[in-house]
Amino acid sequence: MNDLLQAMFPEIVLCAAAAILLLMGVSRRPSTRRAAPVLAILALIVAGASQLSAIGGSAARLDLRWNTVRVYEFARYVKLLSSAIGVLLVLLAWPTNRDATGGPAHNFGEEAAEFFGLMLLSIAGIFIVAGANDMMLLFLGIELASIPTYIMVSISAPRAISQEAGVKYFFLGAMAAALMLFGFSYLFGTTGTTRLDLIAQRIDPRTGLTAWQILAVVMLIAGFAFKMAVVPLHFYAGDVYQGAATPVTAFLSFVPKISGFVALLKILFAVTAGTWHIAPQIVKLLWVMAALTMSVGNVLGLVQVNVKRLLAYSSIAHSGYMLVGVTALLSTTDYEIQSSALQGILFYLSAYGLMNVAAFGVLILLPSRLNQPSTSAETFEDLAGVGRKHTLLALAMAVSCFSLIGLPLTVGFFGKFLLILPAWKANLTWLVIILVINAAVSAGYYLRIVGAMFLGSETAGPRFRQQPAADQPIHHPMPVLVSVGISMVAILWFGIVWPATSRLTIRTATAAHIEPAVNTPVASVSQR
Amino acid sequence: MNSPLLIILLLIPAAGALIGALLPIAAARSWALLISLATLLVGIIIAWRFQYGFSGFQFTFDNANLSLPFHASFSLGIDAISIWLVLLTVLLMPLSIAASWEVIKDRPREYYSWMLLLLAAMLGVFVARDILVFYIFFELTLVPMFFIIGIWGGPERRAAAGKFFLFTFTGSVFTLAAAIYLGYHAGTFDIAAIVDYARTSLTDGERYWILLALLAGFAVKVPLFPVHTWLPLAHTEAPTAGSVILAGVLLKLGTYGLLRLALPIGILAANSVAFPHMIHVLGYLCVIGVIYGALVAWVQKDVKKLVAYSSVSHLGFCVLGMIALNTYGIEGSVLYMINHGLSTGAMFLVIGMIYDRYHTRDIRELSGLARRMPILAFFFVLFTLASIGLPGLNGFVSEFLTILGAFTSPYLGVWFGTFAALGIILGAVYMLHMVACIIFGPLRTPESHDHGQVPGDIGKREIAILIPLALAVVFLGVYPSGVLRSMNDAVARIQQPILRQERQATANLQSPFSAGAQHREFPRLAADVVPNP
Repeated sequence: MNDLLQAMFPEIVLCAAAAILLLMGVSRRPSTRRAAPVLAILALIVAGASQLSAIGGSAARLDLRWNTVRVYEFARYVKLLSSAIGVLLVLLAWPTNRDATGGPAHNFGEEAAEFFGLMLLSIAGIFIVAGANDMMLLFLGIELASIPTYIMVSISAPRAISQEAGVKYFFLGAMAAALMLFGFSYLFGTTGTTRLDLIAQRIDPRTGLTAWQILAVVMLIAGFAFKMAVVPLHFYAGDVYQGAATPVTAFLSFVPKISGFVALLKILFAVTAGTWHIAPQIVKLLWVMAALTMSVGNVLGLVQVNVKRLLAYSSIAHSGYMLVGVTALLSTTDYEIQSSALQGILFYLSAYGLMNVAAFGVLILLPSRLNQPSTSAETFEDLAGVGRKHTLLALAMAVSCFSLIGLPLTVGFFGKFLLILPAWKANLTWLVIILVINAAVSAGYYLRIVGAMFLGSETAGPRFRQQPAADQPIHHPMPVLVSVGISMVAILWFGIVWPATSRLTIRTATAAHIEPAVNTPVASVSQR
Repeated sequence: MNSPLLIILLLIPAAGALIGALLPIAAARSWALLISLATLLVGIIIAWRFQYGFSGFQFTFDNANLSLPFHASFSLGIDAISIWLVLLTVLLMPLSIAASWEVIKDRPREYYSWMLLLLAAMLGVFVARDILVFYIFFELTLVPMFFIIGIWGGPERRAAAGKFFLFTFTGSVFTLAAAIYLGYHAGTFDIAAIVDYARTSLTDGERYWILLALLAGFAVKVPLFPVHTWLPLAHTEAPTAGSVILAGVLLKLGTYGLLRLALPIGILAANSVAFPHMIHVLGYLCVIGVIYGALVAWVQKDVKKLVAYSSVSHLGFCVLGMIALNTYGIEGSVLYMINHGLSTGAMFLVIGMIYDRYHTRDIRELSGLARRMPILAFFFVLFTLASIGLPGLNGFVSEFLTILGAFTSPYLGVWFGTFAALGIILGAVYMLHMVACIIFGPLRTPESHDHGQVPGDIGKREIAILIPLALAVVFLGVYPSGVLRSMNDAVARIQQPILRQERQATANLQSPFSAGAQHREFPRLAADVVPNP
């Protein structure tokens, strides 16, 4: 029991804090509600710090009684990463006084405390996914990461478009959950257990997966693809990202994605018994999905007029890049190459989180010129000429765009580098070529953002000719600035100071296997 | 041994850019000039202490602590080829900053910071000894130039900046993929080691694709014929200093990349030349570029666009000499890079001065400037003649050598030389046409010009900008053998496989069993046969 408590400590902290936050939401005193984000950040810091080996010890945390939770270096990395990005996301969503700002970020009213409670629950979902050793717990984790986001989208802004986005997201999410459960049930039916380590034992590595198991894995991939926003289950992304308030969009672009990727890796790890050697059909499926996701995301990104929608397609494309890493992982039998592929995926997840926080943070800080209630900057017209007035903000946006393109001296460059490297190693020549072509295509729309801010004039766009831009002074909420600042420093730090000397790569390198005893799966834990 | 000089060379402009962004606006331009002069000083110190005639890298800098998990390391060095390009860069930058002195009124701080960052990035490309460091600096030149064209450029600046960025970036992502492939298979990103690896272990199929990937990046930057379309727009829309740097240095990144990476890795195998047909394809593209560029330049109405197309034509010569793969050709090609940087940079400077006075660059509106601005006219004619290749000025030697290289090369031959030589004639035609139209002829004031004031001749500042370039143009025309001789060993190092093959052929010729073997004699020292004007 004690070991379970130890293993689940961060999840317990997060859920307890979430419960308190939900209670705080009922309070009539505004000061109580205003304390909500502080509590949320504290909980995230405690949960994250407990995963630091300096504080929590570097030993694996296993639940020896029921074998449902196993926290190795991989899970620690994911937890640390999601709590760190979680802090930045909470800062982005910090309640802002609507009257004082040109563009209130989200509908801050009575719901503020619950809102942060939902955020914590969702992040706790990722924590559970990362540590789960049981399909049921894995599924619970994914749903815990997702369900709060449905509510967050719906309550984020008092606009019909947000409600629509929430409903759409909910229904499609429910469908994805059904697919996932269907897959899990087949896996259970063919192996007779829900425990991942036992599944790994019961699948004979020589004969590989049976047809039913392949079907199960395909359905699971489909379910996770929805969370990761991977083609062909990406259709919701554009509408939902655009409809949600910007801080929620930032949240959506990171949390479900990382939960999907982590779950995918864990399931693939289990069904291959840690060898990553899987039926060629599935490798081919992932190959095609990676190629399609990158290409569709980037090509559709080129034609967007709404920056948030554009970032939605960019988010799809980035999932595609990471799927290249997954494909490389599965198409080789060399342990070294597998570690480098996993390292690439893990590094890219953190790089992507940082870049996205910065990009959405700048959008939050800029006002919408259309004076609709409760929107931040959304269209290219809103961004036009911003470079002249708010040079630093525009520079931050430019840096995150260049990082998303993958230009050197930003974390995005090394992200792409660490994905191309294992892809070459695994002989995925065409996938590399598709990836670099896509990087070039994506430069087209990211440059449009930079171009609109620095090269455009403020009066660009037809709508402005009739309606002069309200020249109200903009009040920048400090927490959002802090969040953008932190991610900016991180983007440049991990890009300029060579990754060799940065903690991030060292961590991804040590985390580069899901469970340490590969090839001899599950030998380390005795069964009681 | 670690020499700090190259690191200082990179750090001065980089730090200067960051500090300059924080200084008061009034101090921006003086600060930028100061920093660029300091960089020039470091460049001169390096040139002073450089041991010419030594083929390897000097002033090497390696930092083991900065090594990456994938065996790349931050290693710098400079050899007899790159020193000239570094000197060109550090010379052109203070001149361009001085040329922007009065022109850049809008957001000067940002402008000068971008210029200094650009300087650091360009120098980084020339001193990189690691392919990843090379690529990083190569890409970094895009961002400052994007902003310089996009913010301070002409009316179509946005399109020009976007096109410039997208063309170059699209090409160079393939270079990145190839670099990662080579780095992974060679186990290191050190350029010399990669070249060794490529010569010994690459299969023909691999080498072919790597050559194509490297060409994709560098051919766009040079630019070779079918992918040159970004260049006229970018040159025309960029502010004067931007055009100078773009034509003077940025295009040389492409030719330098070809010389350092694409040729040694893709074309020159261990003992032979791989893909002679690729050399032919490149040769066709160069010749087409030479003639097409010249013909298009001939009909331009915008002087800046004319010079831009002349760059397309001139860089055709440069690459043609390089792929001739003999000593004449390669040395001529490197000399061509420097000469083109000097004379075309200077022409853009002069055109910028004309534009500052008349606010037009239309060949039909400008006429008879020699009557009103004799000093400007003098410089303009001087640089035009240098660009055409008048003996005694710098362009002649390099043009002569590249064409000689093409003629004597077993991989190209007479026809390539002949058609390239046709390009020289066309070059004289369009350049002299331009000079005749705007410098000589009846004095006319452009219609668009405000008739109230009559613009005067160029002032002291502008003369001071042009004089170093004029001196360099004359010096390199009269005494090119200094540059050429210093490069001999470095070029021979690149040529190694060919020289080896040649030696083998000589050996075969002497053996009685291979009496029929073809053998061509290549004189080793190009400097010895350069006609002394």
